[in-house]
Amino acid sequence: MANISIRNVEKSYGALNVLKPFSLEIEDGEFVVLVGPSGCGKSTMLKILAGLEPASGGQILIGGEDVTDLAPGDRDIAMVFQNYALYPHLTVRQNVGFGLRMRGMDSAEITRRVNDAAQVLEIGPYLDRRPKDLSGGQRQRVALGRAIVRQPRAFLMDEPLSNLDAKLRVHMRAEIGALHQRIGTTTVYVTHDQVEAMTMADRVVIMRGGEIQQIAPPEELFQRPANLFVAGFIGSPGMNMVRGMASGGRLSVLGHEVDRRAGRDGPVIVGLRPEHLRIGEGRAQFSVRPTLVESLGSEKYVYFDAGAPYRTESDSERSKGLIARVAHSGPIAAGSELVLGYDPDDLHLFDAQTGLAL
Amino acid sequence: MTRTPLQSLILYAVVILTLGLILFPVYWLLVTALSTTDKLYALPPKFWPVDPHWDIFARVWEAKPILQWLTNSLIAAVGSVALSMLVSVSAGYALSRYSMRGGAAMGMFVLTAKMLPATLLVIPLFSIFAKAGMIGSLWTLVIAHSTLIIPFATWMLKGYFDTIPKELEQAAMVDGCSPLGAMVRVVLPIATPGLAATALYAFVLSWADYAYARTFLVNAPDNWTANLGITTMQGEYVTYWNDISAAAIFVAIPIIVIYLFLERYLVGGLTAGAEK
Ligand SMILES: Nc1ncnc2c1ncn2[C@@H]1O[C@H](COP(=O)(O)OP(=O)(O)OP(=O)(O)O)[C@@H](O)[C@H]1O
Ligand SMILES: [Mg+2]
Repeated sequence: MANISIRNVEKSYGALNVLKPFSLEIEDGEFVVLVGPSGCGKSTMLKILAGLEPASGGQILIGGEDVTDLAPGDRDIAMVFQNYALYPHLTVRQNVGFGLRMRGMDSAEITRRVNDAAQVLEIGPYLDRRPKDLSGGQRQRVALGRAIVRQPRAFLMDEPLSNLDAKLRVHMRAEIGALHQRIGTTTVYVTHDQVEAMTMADRVVIMRGGEIQQIAPPEELFQRPANLFVAGFIGSPGMNMVRGMASGGRLSVLGHEVDRRAGRDGPVIVGLRPEHLRIGEGRAQFSVRPTLVESLGSEKYVYFDAGAPYRTESDSERSKGLIARVAHSGPIAAGSELVLGYDPDDLHLFDAQTGLAL
Repeated sequence: MTRTPLQSLILYAVVILTLGLILFPVYWLLVTALSTTDKLYALPPKFWPVDPHWDIFARVWEAKPILQWLTNSLIAAVGSVALSMLVSVSAGYALSRYSMRGGAAMGMFVLTAKMLPATLLVIPLFSIFAKAGMIGSLWTLVIAHSTLIIPFATWMLKGYFDTIPKELEQAAMVDGCSPLGAMVRVVLPIATPGLAATALYAFVLSWADYAYARTFLVNAPDNWTANLGITTMQGEYVTYWNDISAAAIFVAIPIIVIYLFLERYLVGGLTAGAEK
């Protein structure tokens, strides 16, 4: 086990710059999740960590040792791939033991370790099968087994759950969490699923276009997003964004004024999480005509329009308007007037130009 | 999916017809071998000789150095397979995995080389071998056949390697293999069907050659290949077609054996289970 230091690592493919200088200190035993939209450079970062891609610049240290120029096999790390990459011509036993055999471990020790890993992951009954005779979830476990059996200094996982169906994903998510609790190996985990990021991580690194947006524990990410991108990325449904105007400790938003200090006067972007809106409750209240009401059983999504002056250039998710996520409370009809309320302290304020949190 | 009786009927009819078309010449070869010379031109043709001459095989085997011809063919074929596989596995793998400047152009060039008729190369190759003092040696066949095999085999293997996910080698490298180790321990075993198909193609191409053998080896009877040897059985005045047919059957047997041997490796689907 070891800590990992990523120092100003960058990556370009020819003229295409896919990773801006990237620095991150990962502590021994920490579970760090890299999350971000498709193409933001998550896999690239992981491959650079693994030594499968050379960095265009910067330095990587694992356990204090500079591994920037070491071959993947010499870094003492294990990787779990999105598509599992099990060796199809080998049995599960040989798959799991492959890395040990390559390191010249004696066969009694290999057998012992493979059996231990098989027990942890409950793949004992399939040890003599080929990968093609396993289900998706079983393959996933074998891929994990291949990683843990090596007892490496760190695990690198690239979207290991994205090929599983929703139910199995939730299950395996918990298992990987439990596994990490138990063996405590430093882990860098890549996903584009914010739920995985929020539930598994000690710290989350949010990336966009090859650039780090924020590094923070999940709670903090949710409560104090550093900028508009993080605010919109974390949370489901996403945060409502409207235009507002701050002046002298007062904030004018959605046709009313509330007490809220912005730190400086001028136009701001106001963020309000859908779950912070309630029906008829809250220090600030305003009335809307819902354009659409979706019932999810235990709760309802109420869509409404902010009105032209408050609209921000919305992403596709918000094209239906703003959303209030309210507890189920009798019928709500689209088109008829509804009073919504919130607590002004729940508002997130962002600079209208830079998008940075105020 | 279950088939209706009519579909089954059509399917079997097509299979039987195809088999018939393919196997008829083989069958006719056997009939010709077993018939006496005077019956060969009988009209209407006999579909099975009245008194099949099974002893013809032993007679031909003794009269002609069939074993030596077969050995020569085998040496040329195995040599061609070895040389061309060595080159085209490396080249195909490199074309599939490494993006290099002009890689695609090289790939196309390799393929255009295949479009030249084999006979076009006979003369230039002859003059090269003559200068090198190699005329009459079986090496000329190994080299000449390889020049024909390599372009196509490289292309075939590149296509096969393309279907093997890169992550497998990456996983192997993380597990401690060198790039070459990952290729040998992971990629090649998985590529067995592709390798077997390519090797079979190479073997058959070399085994079936006549033009090169005739040009380079005609004055070296000790190195005659089976195909060359058989054609020398064609007399100036009389040709014993039954003898030739019997010899031809001897020549066909190794191909059948090789095929039976490689067949189990030809089945696809070895990558199944690698992903997802
Ligand atoms: N070999 C390559 N040559 C050129 N560009 C590449 C190469 N590999 C990746 N890229 C580019 O680098 C960027 C980052 O790719 P990367 O695979 O790291 O994204 P990602 O964050 O893992 O996305 P996803 O969530 O879809 O897996 C993408 O724009 C991609 O097109
Ligand atoms: Mg990726």
